[in-house]
Amino acid sequence: MEEFFTYAPAIALLPLAAFVVALVFGDAMPKKGAIAGIFATAGSLGLSLLMLAAVASGEVHHETYYEWAVGDTAGHTAAEGIAFTFGILIDPLSALMLVIVSLIALLVHVFSLGYMNAEGEKGLPRYYAELGLFTFSMLAFVFADNLLMAFMFFELVGLCSYLLIGFWFRTKSAPSAAKKAFLVTRFGDYFFLVGVVAIGATFGTLAFAGDGSFVAEAEAALDGGETLFGFDAETWITITGLLVLGGVIGKSAQFPLHTWLPDAMEGPTTVSALIHAATMVAAGVYLVARMFGYYALSPSALAIIAFVGGFTALFAATMAVVKDDIKQVLAYSTISQYGYMMLGLGVGGYVAGVFHLMNHAFFKALLFLGAGAVIILMHHEQDMWKMGGLKNKAPVTYYTFLAGALALAGIIPFSGFWSKDEILYDAIILGLESNVFLAAYAMGLLAVFFTGFYTFRMVFLTFHGEPRSDAAEDPHGIGWSVKAPLVVLGVLSLVAGVANLAPVGKLLDLDIMFLEGWLDGEYGGLEELTYGFYGDMLPYETALIGGSEETTLLVAAALSLGLAFSGAGLAWKLYNVPEPTEHTQRLGGARDVLRSNYYQDEVQVWLAEGVTLPVARAADRFDQTVIDGVVNGVSSVSLFGSSWLKRIQTGLVTNYAALLVAGFIGLLLVLGVYGGWFL
Amino acid sequence: MRFEPPNVTEMNEWIAVGMLAFVGLLIPLGMMAVSYLIRPSVPETSKRATYESGEVPTGGTRIRFNIQYYMVALLFLIFDIETVLLFPWAVVYLDAVESDAVSLAEILGPMLIFVAILLVGLAWAWRSGAVQWARSPFQVEAEADRP
Amino acid sequence: MFPIELSEWAALAPVYILVLSAMVLFVFDSINPRTTNRAFLAGTTTAGSLAALAVAVWFLLAGVGTPQADGGFGAISLFDGQLVVDQLALFFIVVVTVVTSLVSIASYDYMKGHTYQAEYYTLTLLAATGMATMAASNSLVTIFIALELASLPSYALVSILKDNRGSIEGGLKYFLIGALSSAIFVYGISLVYGATGFMQLDAIAENLDADYGPLLGLGILMLIGGFAFKTASVPFHFWAPEAYEGAPAPIAAFLSSASKAAGFVIAFRVFTTAFPLEPTASVIGVDWTVAFIILAIVTMTIGNFAAATQTNVKRMLAYSSVGHAGYALIGLAGLGAGANDVVMGAALMHLFVYGFMNTGAFLFVGLAEHWGVGRTFEDYNGLSAKAPIACVAMTVFMFSLAGIPPFGGFFSKYFLFTASIDAGLLFVAAALVINSALSLYYYSRLVKALWIEEPVLERESLSQPVGLYAAIVFAAVMTVVVLPGFGPVADAAVDAAAAVVA
Repeated sequence: MEEFFTYAPAIALLPLAAFVVALVFGDAMPKKGAIAGIFATAGSLGLSLLMLAAVASGEVHHETYYEWAVGDTAGHTAAEGIAFTFGILIDPLSALMLVIVSLIALLVHVFSLGYMNAEGEKGLPRYYAELGLFTFSMLAFVFADNLLMAFMFFELVGLCSYLLIGFWFRTKSAPSAAKKAFLVTRFGDYFFLVGVVAIGATFGTLAFAGDGSFVAEAEAALDGGETLFGFDAETWITITGLLVLGGVIGKSAQFPLHTWLPDAMEGPTTVSALIHAATMVAAGVYLVARMFGYYALSPSALAIIAFVGGFTALFAATMAVVKDDIKQVLAYSTISQYGYMMLGLGVGGYVAGVFHLMNHAFFKALLFLGAGAVIILMHHEQDMWKMGGLKNKAPVTYYTFLAGALALAGIIPFSGFWSKDEILYDAIILGLESNVFLAAYAMGLLAVFFTGFYTFRMVFLTFHGEPRSDAAEDPHGIGWSVKAPLVVLGVLSLVAGVANLAPVGKLLDLDIMFLEGWLDGEYGGLEELTYGFYGDMLPYETALIGGSEETTLLVAAALSLGLAFSGAGLAWKLYNVPEPTEHTQRLGGARDVLRSNYYQDEVQVWLAEGVTLPVARAADRFDQTVIDGVVNGVSSVSLFGSSWLKRIQTGLVTNYAALLVAGFIGLLLVLGVYGGWFL
Repeated sequence: MRFEPPNVTEMNEWIAVGMLAFVGLLIPLGMMAVSYLIRPSVPETSKRATYESGEVPTGGTRIRFNIQYYMVALLFLIFDIETVLLFPWAVVYLDAVESDAVSLAEILGPMLIFVAILLVGLAWAWRSGAVQWARSPFQVEAEADRP
Repeated sequence: MFPIELSEWAALAPVYILVLSAMVLFVFDSINPRTTNRAFLAGTTTAGSLAALAVAVWFLLAGVGTPQADGGFGAISLFDGQLVVDQLALFFIVVVTVVTSLVSIASYDYMKGHTYQAEYYTLTLLAATGMATMAASNSLVTIFIALELASLPSYALVSILKDNRGSIEGGLKYFLIGALSSAIFVYGISLVYGATGFMQLDAIAENLDADYGPLLGLGILMLIGGFAFKTASVPFHFWAPEAYEGAPAPIAAFLSSASKAAGFVIAFRVFTTAFPLEPTASVIGVDWTVAFIILAIVTMTIGNFAAATQTNVKRMLAYSSVGHAGYALIGLAGLGAGANDVVMGAALMHLFVYGFMNTGAFLFVGLAEHWGVGRTFEDYNGLSAKAPIACVAMTVFMFSLAGIPPFGGFFSKYFLFTASIDAGLLFVAAALVINSALSLYYYSRLVKALWIEEPVLERESLSQPVGLYAAIVFAAVMTVVVLPGFGPVADAAVDAAAAVVA
């Protein structure tokens, strides 16, 4: 199977080719570039599946393709210098992610036929070109074999999402949302870049895997008790890890850099599906999983990841409760769900986090595409209060959306339940030993209730009850290109949990935890990038309720399932009526706080205008007066000197002769005195 | 303690040179200063007129001379210097011919080339009108340059 | 590939070819006075200088001047050491003949309609002969004769536009300052002769006598004066702005490139051969490099500062040419600190590249004069709209003169910079950088005028004289391609320098 790896670069290059084709020939093509994109992503999917098969057969691909700079480092491995390369690393994790990304991208492309082409949008070649570039960047980011290459494509992903969010750049809100997304994520990426430089400078390598990977170097430094840049090794690893985490928090929309994501709804819904499920937001969590070995060396960094994740999960879930726009609800649910993944990774649940990443990709893509279908049905109306009663008029949309909603809410046996349960299990066994993790677990658990509530509030308001507007009375039809992706994703949302039925496996003592085995390298993989290897590195102590794994499992599952059901039940009681009314009034003052998203935007605006702006003004003033003053002073002195020198040239040859002789005598005096000729 | 006369030989010889220059400047300057102090000053127009050996001056001093004088003088100078070079050559010529160390071509050749170059120059100068005393209007016309 | 099997005197073949071409023109003009057969005149000049160039390059490749230990023929000494043909001489003969051929090609159009056509080309060839002989001179007497052979035709060439006041004025000033400088130079020669008893450079080096230290020092200083005049270095530079401004543009190019290079070659040869650094310093009590350090800094500073606010393009180029003389002086200022061949090699490289870029820049001014667009920066406004190719070439020259990569001027200046740092001349290196920065100001002013500014008046379409265009474009191409081809040039320059400083 090894020969398949020859085609690995093509996985990313195919969408790049689609980008070029759509950009250059898009206008002349029948579907304005969609066909090229579909073929390219289908090709990527096929190749990714081949890679998956190849990895399953025990092969791993790790190769450097291009070395573009070599230099010296100041770190403790300075002897060898540092090489900046482009390379591909295909191991179980990246092979899995490649499949997910290319699958979602393919489905989004197909869905776009119905969502964009059929609706007669303008600028479609640009749309498909940007989609292609987006897919390319994400795929290349996924198989990057070093941190710098990952950073570069991470940035490219950010750029593409900026372009796509601002696709309708003639409206007022879209460009503003695009700028916000770009700037907020850039703020995080700034720390990421500093982290990349710090890691490169410290360990002299940026490779994820291999003998000389920075993870291995860091572990060696830790074991050797070395001092790095004036810190002991663990502190320094924590600092650099947290710097990289800055980029993750920005991209994966974790508190406090999550504010861009709800605004990003200004882009086409297909783009939202891609951003939320498989590309932009997923990139952050994937990066943590990719360099999990590095974080595993630093318990502090992991604790921070877990706590931020738990907090974000709850925080975002509460905000989702009061939203009226269907896409807004989904946006906050995304933030919340990525919080779960961070929580899972933070508590050492590498498999659980990746598992949830995969499941979330399926059901969130499904929900967004479903929302897109609803928006088509509703003639581009997004306010849930104007919907209702779509259940009978669009059954395919309804049932697939429902599948996604059940998965999101974590109802057994949909995929979301299995992964969320596993995360919470991993959290509780740590939480019994440590208060920080207990707090994180508690927040995650509480968020389950809110998740169930807002999910079904959305479902009931949209599909149940009586139609509350003319559009809902007479929905627009939808075509196969919309339905097909929904069905595919609906099925996946239902069954994807089979990949890792951990509770069932443990209770019945069956070996059905395929994903865990996959990520543990049972089928093949790099030894230092496996779950088991990470597990050995983790310094955590765990405890079990009553000392029994089964009891703990059952208690945790029962708790989360119970909360999910009660949330869903509350929604059912309040909103599954023919004429639902707004109950948010009952929340009183809390409603305003929630509606305003805890005034997060206001705080950030205040930070920008109240703190950054004065500093920038002061810097500008310094630049204008001191720096420019010196520069201008030098230039005016030069020009003044020039006009003065010009005047020596009087035009009278006698003056020249005099000056010439004077200059000569001056030189004579200097040399004569210096050489002692006059003595 | 015994009195020692200054050792003249230890003095820098440049002092003598400097003194010579100093005295050389002092004498003319002194003469000019003395004459400036003792002469009477009676300004008068005719005293300021150009001195032309007693004749009444006609016109200004800035008139054009015929350049032909200088042309002929230059040509003469060139051939004069040629003679200076030819003379020592002629003196050693016979001795050189008799010696076996150098061939005839080496003795004669360079000087013939030298004279030939001069002759080319002379021919050119002649043809260019350097020795022509006056010019026809046609020739003058042809020399007018582009403004 | 064995030129020397002909005979030893054949080593001077490039010079003979130049003389012969001049003679042909003399004969032709004698037969047909006041001829206006521009094709024949310019053709003969170009053919003559190209032939000389070819022979010089052939000699260089065949190994004339390469030490016999390295399989070459060694330096060839002629007329009892009065002349010597080595790598240094051949390198500069190449520079001189390249510039001469560019100038003669460009003059074909420039001199159209002027009188004294034959005289113009003949004098150019004779001046080139003088410069080539300067490169090969190895005795103070031959140096002086060659220097005068180069200078006298130059005076006449500057003032060849007899009805143009600027031309006459520039020529006269050039002549007067030249006479003064020659006087100082000859005085210097006599003092050196008095102190050592020899004219031949190697013999001088063997007879440095401590008894006449100050006398020799004064003589050396006076020699420096003569070289400074020829290279237009401060304080002997006063003739340069007026002479370049008044002279026909190709002649200005010729003087500021070839004549300057020739001035440098004799300076290099005299100071490395006749006055080896340490023996001389022990005799005169001071390193003569001090004089060159002062001259280099002052020259580049005054040249560039005076150029900064000029309004007349040709005058700006004239001052910039003074500034570049300051850069090349680093080649002498940096000697004695170890890497002598690198320092001087850098100066040789700079003069080589300068031969192309500066000649090209002056030829562009000649093109502008040919069009009659005027002389100031404003007059050049928006020329790019009418003559894009020439303006691209001019832009290349300007940026190369300023020392911006990827043009040839960057490399030579960079080598000078590193060489001066290696030699420990931090002040000189700093002055080089500051002046280069300043020079970018006025060079880019011209580029801005060409490309960005709107023309003051509407222009008719401009003619495209073949000769001028060919010369400018060739110079521009060479300015660019010396970048990839810099290896051989750099090697040749360093070898040539190593041969004399060793």
